[in-house]
Amino acid sequence: MNTEQLQADIDNIRAAALRELEEIESESAPDAENASRRLEAWRVQYLGKKGLLAQVSRQMRELPKEERPRLGQVVNEAQRVLQDRLGRARQRVEELALFARLRQEHIDVTLPGRAPARGTIHPLTRVITEIEDVFLGMGFSIVEGPEVETDHYNFEMLNIPKDHPARDMQDTFYLTEELLLRTQTSPMQVRTMEKMRPFAPIKVICPGRVYRRDEDDATHSHAFNQIEGLVVDRGVRMSDLKGTLEQFARAIFGPNQEVRLRPSFFPFTEPSAEVDVRCTNCGGRGCRVCKHSGWLEILGAGMVHPHVLNGAGYDSREFSGFAFGMGPERIAMLKYGIEDIRLLYQNDLRLLRQFSSVF
Amino acid sequence: MRVSYQWLSEYVDLGGVSPQALADALTSAGIEVESVRPRVERLRRVVVGRVVTCGPHPNADRLKVCTVDVGQDALLTIVCGAPNVAPGQRVPTALVGAELPGGRISQAKLRGVESQGMLCSAKEIGLEVRWLPKSQTEGLYLLPEDAPVGADVSSLLGLDDVILDLSLTPNRSDCLSLRGLAYEVAALLERPLRFLEPHLGDEVLDAGASPVRIELRTPRCPRYEAQVMIGVAGGPSPLWMQMRLLAMGVRPIDVVVDITNYVMLEWGQPLHAFDFDQVRRGTIVVRQAQPGERLATLDGQERVLDEDVIVIADAERAIGIAGVMGGENSEITASTRRVVVESAAFDAASVRRTGQRLGLRSEAQQRFEKGIDPVAVRGALLRARQLLQELAGAAPVGGVVCAEQERPAQPPLLDFSPRRANQLLGTDVAAAEMAAIFRRLGFSVQQLSEEKWQVGVPTRRADIRLEADLVEEIGRIHGYDDIPATLPVGPTTVGMRTQAQRLRKWTRETLAGLGMNEVFTYTLGHPDQLNALRLAEDSFYRKMIPLLRPMSDERIALRTHMLPGLAQVAAYNLSHGMTGGCIFEIGRVYWPRELPLREQPLERQQWAGLWFGEQAVRLWQAGRAYDFYDAKGVLEAWLTSLGLGLRAAFVPIQDADAPWLHPGRAAGVWIDGQIKVGTVGELHPETAQRLGIGGAVYAEFDLDKVDECLGGAWKAQPLPRYPAVRRDLAVLVPQAVSSAQLLAKAAQAAEQAGDILQDCRVFDVYVGPGVPEGQKSVAVAFTYQSDERTLTDEETEAVERAILRAWEQAFGARLRG
Ligand SMILES: [Zn+2]
Repeated sequence: MNTEQLQADIDNIRAAALRELEEIESESAPDAENASRRLEAWRVQYLGKKGLLAQVSRQMRELPKEERPRLGQVVNEAQRVLQDRLGRARQRVEELALFARLRQEHIDVTLPGRAPARGTIHPLTRVITEIEDVFLGMGFSIVEGPEVETDHYNFEMLNIPKDHPARDMQDTFYLTEELLLRTQTSPMQVRTMEKMRPFAPIKVICPGRVYRRDEDDATHSHAFNQIEGLVVDRGVRMSDLKGTLEQFARAIFGPNQEVRLRPSFFPFTEPSAEVDVRCTNCGGRGCRVCKHSGWLEILGAGMVHPHVLNGAGYDSREFSGFAFGMGPERIAMLKYGIEDIRLLYQNDLRLLRQFSSVF
Repeated sequence: MRVSYQWLSEYVDLGGVSPQALADALTSAGIEVESVRPRVERLRRVVVGRVVTCGPHPNADRLKVCTVDVGQDALLTIVCGAPNVAPGQRVPTALVGAELPGGRISQAKLRGVESQGMLCSAKEIGLEVRWLPKSQTEGLYLLPEDAPVGADVSSLLGLDDVILDLSLTPNRSDCLSLRGLAYEVAALLERPLRFLEPHLGDEVLDAGASPVRIELRTPRCPRYEAQVMIGVAGGPSPLWMQMRLLAMGVRPIDVVVDITNYVMLEWGQPLHAFDFDQVRRGTIVVRQAQPGERLATLDGQERVLDEDVIVIADAERAIGIAGVMGGENSEITASTRRVVVESAAFDAASVRRTGQRLGLRSEAQQRFEKGIDPVAVRGALLRARQLLQELAGAAPVGGVVCAEQERPAQPPLLDFSPRRANQLLGTDVAAAEMAAIFRRLGFSVQQLSEEKWQVGVPTRRADIRLEADLVEEIGRIHGYDDIPATLPVGPTTVGMRTQAQRLRKWTRETLAGLGMNEVFTYTLGHPDQLNALRLAEDSFYRKMIPLLRPMSDERIALRTHMLPGLAQVAAYNLSHGMTGGCIFEIGRVYWPRELPLREQPLERQQWAGLWFGEQAVRLWQAGRAYDFYDAKGVLEAWLTSLGLGLRAAFVPIQDADAPWLHPGRAAGVWIDGQIKVGTVGELHPETAQRLGIGGAVYAEFDLDKVDECLGGAWKAQPLPRYPAVRRDLAVLVPQAVSSAQLLAKAAQAAEQAGDILQDCRVFDVYVGPGVPEGQKSVAVAFTYQSDERTLTDEETEAVERAILRAWEQAFGARLRG
């Protein structure tokens, strides 16, 4: 046995080992277990205690003493290279194995997503909340009152005595002689003043359900919502009413909105006005929605009637105020293009689910 | 109210003011004009024709061939199919090229005979046939014998008029007359008024010479005046009068009745004419009806009256219902020669009640119940007397007889300050303009000083009683458009929701975020809807407050429970192709303190949710029915967001608590073990079946109670300084043991064994192979932690043993191998 021969053996073993390792890597990719087994067999064959490199080392003892260190280095180098290479091979096999396993767990990523469907808020409460927020921003508070009202608050205190023709304007559901389903949110004007007096200013809105003996059709409903507004202070002017409602209209219907007041009549305001905004459908040019007038009536308003102020404990010589009442149903219908008020109470999920976006 | 533009223009010059411009001016002053339309849409080249001859048609039995004089050189040959055509008649004749509401007339051969036009019926020229007697609507419309041949029919009949339809607010009953409207228009257009107010005094004839006596026996008739006329020639009123009545929507009847109606439209004062020969003993008595008294009214109906009704009677019997309708027994007929015309004031409320009770709503009644102008009582009567003389050949016997219980109220004098008016309106209107506006409206103005005016209001404007009313007059005549837009001055106020309002808003947003759809249902329903709920007979939910006069059979009482409304929504959606959904409503229920109702009921704020059918279908997975845990998950998330997550407990319900729920699959939700705020559970199978919605989960919460439970301020907890230890235990326990019981017992045992148990929760429940019958395996995760030290295994194991011991003693639990 000479040095050259031995060196050649080592080189051969090293080359064969590397070749075999590549084979294992390339052949065994999908079967990680098999690959690990083969890698272990490879390790035993080449790097094991009885492996080929160990056998070569043992043969070195037959070499002249001065030759041994150099050849020992060659063996060590081969061992280091193979060890190192084995480590990388193992790592690679593991990666392949993991990949293979994950591929097994694949899902069809082209199927639609399954995030929990967001629910929806009813268009009516949506509009009511929006309107509330506008007035909250202007410093109004929200008050609420009973739907089962007394004749006293619903009519008498609002300057509508028995047999007043204005009672025809709103035919009433009575529960008893004295108790009724409120026909308007206006009783809260009186209730609020009675509770707050002598405090000023009063700035409140009152949203809520009201009831009238109307046949249900596309534009009428026996039950609907109203939002009442009331401001009482010293020196409140009708121009303040106009300005406040202009702010409201711009917030709800768009920044270029205009409001128009038309004289009207309500027993509990004097002067009284109907309030129009520019038609939201045609912008004022005239269309079917606005009956070609360019304007849409959206609320009734006026200066609180002196009888109402005095009756609720605010001296009309010292205080003045304005009040208004609007119908969220009508505003929702205009805003969302809903043409039949009954749709708002039908609760068809195909309609409701359209209201899923917040903006 | 319908208003004739042409008639109105008689009292105020409308030259240069188109009907639309007039309508716009009125609307912007608060007299809303709903529509402006021509009296007849299209009518040209229709003239008065005289039928000269009338012969048979050679080829048609039903047709006639007429020659007609239309004032031209030659007679026209016109084929006519009307059965009533006859020589000598004057009829509307459409010439060739004429335009009628129904179309154009061209020369045409009718069954072989050339026709040079058409003889017209009332309908064909666009007359308001619904208010014409049948005799005038069948066949040709016959014009009076003095109608000038060849004259344009459109202008002869005023068909070229324009009708304004007014929608009056109840305070402006003064505009229910041309007189009142003329005042308004004159003020708006700043034009002189041509309406002649009577000069009281001119009319004086000897009242003592009148054959009628009047007795007022009720306080509800403050004033009654009457004029007797004799020598009345009956028959129709003149064509111009009939046409004006028709234009205003009033049926022409005969000259006497037409005159009373004409004057009512002109003056706003309803009049009534009685056949004076039927008024027994020449006496008119105004009194309350006797109970059960009967009267046949002019519409042919027998009416039974009561004491609340005011009647006009003679010495023996009722002859009319005051302010509402006359009686048949004193009706004007063709043979009537003597009439007594009534002009009176009646109590508005009484007339209103009577009309409502009898189901009548006559023109007269509408005016009485809104209040009339006391000055017009005399004025209108004198006007009627004049017209009866001119048009019915009648002569007055004696003068106006007047009975009155109170003098008409003097026109009020109101204090007015121009500064206060500007202050209230937020305007800067000059004092001189204000004075001018009042004068144009016919109000008197006395300027005592710059700041103190006295404004006299005429009696026709009963709506003006306060300075604020005068301010409105200034505002609306000057124009609301000139009111600027300002914002209230004064202290800034904070606008924010109350806690209860925030709770409702947050609940709504949270539930929507958790996939639920908000609904809005009616609060009026029917007690039968509760039948599905398996309620006891005396359940308080059955105490729905009934309406006195419901509008429909389904909506007769206020809801006490939210489930029927939600179930209806579910049923509707299931029947419209949806397989399921989860919906909620935030609203009120109305709980009477007692029935019959004596005081306002409790109105409780609730939210109720219903999970019905299958979860929204995933495109590629089968749907799954909603179950209890779907609902509970939502509730837990909601409660946690309110800070009640740890304080809330779901406790199995007692059957009677909520009979509409499945007794084994329902829970009450308790806060701190003390306040029950709601219930949740699967619907009882019977309830679900009767509601027709299959299985569903229902939850309801009393938001007023939840509001009471909400905590106040809270502070963040410091982060733990020592690590937590998590250990799991799985035990076998009888199935009846709830996880809440296990956890409560564990917490109790752990506390005694060393206060280091931070959290414990069930993470798995298993029943099946490997678990003995009647038992279940419950796996619980424990988290141990100390604020003071890192825990040792010995410490945690000691606690764990204590827990196991406690479980074993309490429930016979065994550690699962
Ligand atoms: Zn429009």
